[in-house]
Amino acid sequence: MKLCGEIEVRDREETLINLDPIQSGGRLTAEAMKAVIAYGDGYSVCDACGKPFRLDTIKKPPLDAFHRDLAAFVHMDVARVMPGARRGFQAVTHTLVSPGQPVILTALSHYTAFLAVESAGGVPREIPMDGNHRITGEEAAKTLEAVTRESGSPPPLLMVDHFDYQYGNEHQVREIAKAAGQYDVPVLYNGAYSVGILPVDGEALGVDFVVGSGHKSMAAPAPSGMLATTSEYAGKIFRTTGIRGDRTNRTFGVKEVEMMGCTLMGATVMGMMASFPHVRERVNRWQEELENARLVARALSSISGTAILSEVPRRHTLTRADTLGSFDVVARTHKKKGFFLTSALKERGIGGLFPGATRVWKYNTYGLTRRQAEHVAASFREIAKENGIAVM
Amino acid sequence: MVMGVSRRAVEAVFQSLFLLTDLRVLLRSTAPDHRLDEAQRAGVRDRIAALRREVDAIEQELLK
Repeated sequence: MKLCGEIEVRDREETLINLDPIQSGGRLTAEAMKAVIAYGDGYSVCDACGKPFRLDTIKKPPLDAFHRDLAAFVHMDVARVMPGARRGFQAVTHTLVSPGQPVILTALSHYTAFLAVESAGGVPREIPMDGNHRITGEEAAKTLEAVTRESGSPPPLLMVDHFDYQYGNEHQVREIAKAAGQYDVPVLYNGAYSVGILPVDGEALGVDFVVGSGHKSMAAPAPSGMLATTSEYAGKIFRTTGIRGDRTNRTFGVKEVEMMGCTLMGATVMGMMASFPHVRERVNRWQEELENARLVARALSSISGTAILSEVPRRHTLTRADTLGSFDVVARTHKKKGFFLTSALKERGIGGLFPGATRVWKYNTYGLTRRQAEHVAASFREIAKENGIAVM
Repeated sequence: MVMGVSRRAVEAVFQSLFLLTDLRVLLRSTAPDHRLDEAQRAGVRDRIAALRREVDAIEQELLK
């Protein structure tokens, strides 16, 4: 079915159970879809924009209140909507990092964290992961100590994921923040896989910045996200322009430099805002989501030659599986080769896995109903049995 | 009201799209077999009835 011209209608979510590792938390709510319908035009939120002409001050639609709600949602003082978590990282690195300075990341940091450091001229220094693919407070302390000793002063920033994109493992944010606090190093919490799907309390974690992704975990259109901080850092990160044109003498009011003025002016922010009441409530159902994740992980583990590479029991719905000893063995002689698995899943109404993947692959069960999760679990076991793999 | 504007037609178009969106979301939550329980079936019936009323309003307003 064509939308227009050569553009196909995307109906993956309506026709399949989608296990794509990055798409599940960004699926829109009905409210967000309605907001996209009504606010799809470019500068649609600007109808009633008046002095001081800035997104976070618009009252109709109530974007001013939404910004305050976002800050409260993650227990921080001030928040801004951003065009993706990556732009949140960048606003912080551009403010705090000078060229040549080391910035502490982790061995599991997302590439956009690295690019944010690079764009500020910083030098990445990674905290290594332990044998269970986790970033610990102890290793963070060692890296802080080493970097401080080498450069003669503490680094200007430490960035850590609560849950990483490779394994979906939980990392010791509180302990890491405590270690950073001993060196007076500000901490950026990357909540791309947490803000909007599970409760996040930046104050309790002891972090200085909380970054979230609208399109990854807040049921919002892309690109969207948020950056929240403390009142201590808000004046720095959200500093207003002081520049003046040399010929025209023009100045630019209260526009915020790192935001490049206004950030999300239409369907993105309205979708994010329309989903927010649902998102604020759904984080309290995280345990139900974990039960679904564990149900599917158990089913995969019951297939001989299959291992869950993420921490078990699962503490996140994003999971990394190793099927080298099971589905990949079948793929070697199957007429469809590696595509047999995604093909067999599709026949059962399941999609979203990387086509042809039978070795090491990721999936995400977030947002599935229990019935859908049971169907996924049963399907993996069924496909294994049909292909002669022992199932316990 | 601006002269010539059919507020009712505008509202009916949006309301229709919103009702269809609710049905779209139902398709998502019941994929892949779209087997509905009784509460879901009742919800579908209500929305289709409301949708018919909105489409009638559009017809009346725009083709009068």
